[in-house]
Amino acid sequence: MESIKWIFGYAKRWWIRITIVVLMIILATAVSVYIPLLTGRVVDEVINGGQIDLLPSLLLGIVGATVIREALRYSYRLLSETVGQNAIFQIKDDLYNKMQELDVDYFKQNQMGDIMARMTGDTETIRHFLSWVCYNIVENSIFFIIAIFMLARINLTLTLAILCVTPFMAYFAKRLCYEVRPTFGNIRESFSRLNSMVKENISGNRIVKVFVNEDYEIEKFRKHNRDFREKNIESASVWGKYLPLLDGLTGSLQVIIMLLGGWFIMRGEMTMGEFVAYGNFMWMLSMPMRMSGWLLNDTQRYIASSQKIQEMLKVESTIQVQNPVEKPVEGDIQFKNVNFFYQDDLQTKVLHDINLEISKGQKVAILGETGSGKSTLVSMISRFYDPTDGDVFIDGENVKKYDLKTLRGSIANVMQDVFLFSDSVRQNIAFSAPDISREKIVESAMRADAHNFVMKLEDQYDTIIGERGTGLSGGQKQRVSLARALLKEPSILILDDTTSAVDMETEFKIQEELKKIGHGITTIVIASRVSSAIDADQIFVMENGRIVERGNHAGLLDKKGYYYDIYQSQMGEFLEGRVV
Amino acid sequence: MAAQTAKRNTFNEDEELEERLDFKSLMRIFKYIGPYRKQMLKVLSIIFLGNIGLVIGPFLLRYAIDYSIPNQNYGQLIMLAAIFLAGLLVSGICTNLRINQITRLGQQILMDMREDIFVHLQKLSFNYFDSRPHGKILIRVVNYINSLSEILSSGLINLISDLLSLIMTFAFMLLMDARLAGISLALFPIVVLVTLLIKNSQRRAFQVLSNKQSNMNAYIAESIEGVKVTQSFAREEVNGEIFDDVNKQYRSSWMSAIKRLFIMHPVLNVISALTTALVIFVAIYFGHLNISAGVLIAFMGYLNNLWNPLINIGNFYNSLINASAYLERIFETLDTPLEISDVEHAKTMPSIVGNITFEDVTFAYDSSKTILENVNFEVKKGETIALVGPTGAGKSTIINLISRFYNLEKGRILVDGEDISQVSLASLRGQMGVMMQDTFIFSGTIKENILYGKLDATDEEVMAAAKAVMAHDFIMEMPNGYDTVVKERGSNLSAGQRQLISFARTLLRNPKILILDEATSSIDTKTEKDLQIALDKLLEGRTSFVIAHRLSTIKNASRIFYVSDKQIVESGSHDELLEEKGRYYELFNSQFNILDKLA
Repeated sequence: MESIKWIFGYAKRWWIRITIVVLMIILATAVSVYIPLLTGRVVDEVINGGQIDLLPSLLLGIVGATVIREALRYSYRLLSETVGQNAIFQIKDDLYNKMQELDVDYFKQNQMGDIMARMTGDTETIRHFLSWVCYNIVENSIFFIIAIFMLARINLTLTLAILCVTPFMAYFAKRLCYEVRPTFGNIRESFSRLNSMVKENISGNRIVKVFVNEDYEIEKFRKHNRDFREKNIESASVWGKYLPLLDGLTGSLQVIIMLLGGWFIMRGEMTMGEFVAYGNFMWMLSMPMRMSGWLLNDTQRYIASSQKIQEMLKVESTIQVQNPVEKPVEGDIQFKNVNFFYQDDLQTKVLHDINLEISKGQKVAILGETGSGKSTLVSMISRFYDPTDGDVFIDGENVKKYDLKTLRGSIANVMQDVFLFSDSVRQNIAFSAPDISREKIVESAMRADAHNFVMKLEDQYDTIIGERGTGLSGGQKQRVSLARALLKEPSILILDDTTSAVDMETEFKIQEELKKIGHGITTIVIASRVSSAIDADQIFVMENGRIVERGNHAGLLDKKGYYYDIYQSQMGEFLEGRVV
Repeated sequence: MAAQTAKRNTFNEDEELEERLDFKSLMRIFKYIGPYRKQMLKVLSIIFLGNIGLVIGPFLLRYAIDYSIPNQNYGQLIMLAAIFLAGLLVSGICTNLRINQITRLGQQILMDMREDIFVHLQKLSFNYFDSRPHGKILIRVVNYINSLSEILSSGLINLISDLLSLIMTFAFMLLMDARLAGISLALFPIVVLVTLLIKNSQRRAFQVLSNKQSNMNAYIAESIEGVKVTQSFAREEVNGEIFDDVNKQYRSSWMSAIKRLFIMHPVLNVISALTTALVIFVAIYFGHLNISAGVLIAFMGYLNNLWNPLINIGNFYNSLINASAYLERIFETLDTPLEISDVEHAKTMPSIVGNITFEDVTFAYDSSKTILENVNFEVKKGETIALVGPTGAGKSTIINLISRFYNLEKGRILVDGEDISQVSLASLRGQMGVMMQDTFIFSGTIKENILYGKLDATDEEVMAAAKAVMAHDFIMEMPNGYDTVVKERGSNLSAGQRQLISFARTLLRNPKILILDEATSSIDTKTEKDLQIALDKLLEGRTSFVIAHRLSTIKNASRIFYVSDKQIVESGSHDELLEEKGRYYELFNSQFNILDKLA
């Protein structure tokens, strides 16, 4: 019922069309009722009564009525299709926007294939419900009511007799709904697992080939493929049990009519014409009865899907903004007693008592071992995560007070895991401002030392990059993503291991460029190379979620700790080099 | 993975259909149905039986109207009713069997098809996956095949059952009155004509629709994967608008397709009414035909029985046209030629020793732009080769060619004297360990991910591999150790951790040739140093190729290849190359200068 209310919320915007559809259905039904009346007259007055001169007009009536009915039907089917399409159009837009606002945790917990299944398979089920099941329910209900009315007018006793069957039908229909719904839920889940598996296989196609694990993948796929088949068969075995029952009960109406009707005729209580007319109206009663099973079945399928969609639409992002302050981001950053756990692992503290202060325009370097919490720390500035404990401030204001769009719009985050879209290089760089001038794009590309290699690509800036940036080398991808970030002209620039895949010379060039534009921009660099840290105003060294060393280059060298060790091991190469 | 120039498809671009399939080719679906002929026959006989139950209805009714009721024979009427009921019972049982059998059959066929396309996908080369959004591949395996479910399960069977009941009904009609039966078919040519008229535009409309569906799928898939980038650039609104547009295109293509689809139904119904009128008109107007009232009334019933299956067949034909838009895509994928596959009677690569030779190797991703030209080199067993040079020069390409991920334009690559194009891919790649730039982690446990390198490895082997790459410690710190579940693409691991895991996975298979493509770029210096010590031990006796930017890694190599201008322009040890004072010397010096400036 909740699902019906929910979809009504989407459909009601189109109430005028819905009203028209219902009116047209009523009209078409009326015409449908009229046709058997004409056929009955043909039998009674022409065939049995011999009034042959009536025939042409009666037949013309039949054909004309059919044309009108079919024209009406065509129109309302199309109209209800538009209602259905408009509603799922809106649902898809809503799902898409919801997907965009959900937090990182949601994507950790839900497989991409599953989210996709909601936006494709499930919306398709809803379309079917809105544009087919709904008008059929209306049509069939009207038929049912009119049929009973007409049949009762012809012969009340006979009609009451056949209605005795309905309670049985209602009972079986109820059982059908009860038993079939979970099976549709199972099909849906199985579909989503299959979708996720194939999706992952396609994304990981290189690894599959590298490890020659095609057979293993096929075996994995077979399991899901088979499961999907089984779930469909299971479901069919449920509705396959009830639909014939409903069908059979409907068929038995004919038998009742033949027996009772025949008896009435013999007793002179009914004419042969009435009997034939009665028989001609019967389809109007048996059609809704037959259809009821299918319609209920489809409704259950709809409910299973709509629940998945509602579930996703109801999820609230944990990143919320209340009463945002309206002020631009300048670039002072402060962490106050920040502690952090990931929601799915409450045993491992990822960040311990982080306290730090960065002033506008400073360059900060963060170093530390793999998995020590560097990326997590910086992701709190753009609020991809909120601290479990403690606060992050920007310009003295809690980050939670900033409108997300303003906040993230002022921070350029070049992530470790470079993600490029399968679009042109130009569109990738201009990601934050699609309409920006070519000069600006080239300028950013030059700063990121990407311009030269882009010009060597076949279509230069119009070269289409493959999904995730295939076709570019690791260093090239990093440079495009850096250009994309620089184009934004941010107040805060976060470079998370951004130059790991470029050679030192390129890195140096990029650093020089950054220095040129760096005045006034707060820059945070996560790097494994000491060379990126040497000129930083502040350096933080992290270990197991704590800041264990802090200071500037000279100060940290004096400490002879972790930083000193790394400096020695990296610069040692250089010192040896000097010897050469 | 250097500059690749094959034309790529994006979400906002329709894919052109490379082969236009005619209707005959669509009949390929029968290849999938063929193996289940027996079951088909079974289902058909069930349907046949069930139809008898249904078809006797009007017959009994006619008998009652013509004889039992006028003759006041109530006993006979009860008997007719009993037969009728028995018929219903039979048809009910048959319907139940039919639903179960048809679902089983239809799902089986879909499963076979899906498996075929999936298996074929596994054989396609990198090029295929790199040249179109993954969402467009996914939709073929899952959604397109699902949209065939109707037509292959109920559709096809109903078609046969409809044909059967059509024939049976017509036979009854012929028996009753051959003249009227003939008239009943008089208008049939109009149906054929209308069908032919709308066929082409309907088919095109559905092709457009399937394209729009595919575009939408691609955009959704990529949006989900790139959501973090979108959020960090606060570009939700722009994306929302683009999606809105993609969504709109889908909606309008749907409406345009459905408009054509819906035409068939009213046309058939009107013609059916015309036929009824015609039959009655002829039967009555020409009184001398001498048709009894009972026959005529029964005939009117049969006309319905005749036209209903005809309407259904029309619908089936309709859905076949719709499905053809999907079938074309599916068959197109199945027909995508394998760029890289075993030659006939491919040899099994013997156990690799590790001598590698490039002989006049010329390579291009697309023949207009060569990446490598006449490259010649020889690598001895146990050597470690470091590849350096400007990005896009072809370092990754050289590496990819050794595993035969691409075919050469010219020349040969020999491993231990065997031309790699002549041995089976599985035996060649099976002995290599390649660690790529993009460290892909599957959803599953960490153990499963390491096991991916060697599916039958023991726990001890897994652990040993993890220890060797310094991954053991952090794995043990995770909540469930090796059984910790990692999410798609390893989103709860740091980039360095992901690299370590994929490193362990590569080492687990104990490869004869090890290829590391920027494999340690995200690993911190300290871990890398420890790793290097372990690696040196592991690399002993193995031939290996390394692409890296760190001097230490490069310097330790037995030889360094400087790749530039489609060639290997310099090769030799670190010291030799420095003495040569060429490109490598320049590279080294520039780094040296940078460090000098910094220090």
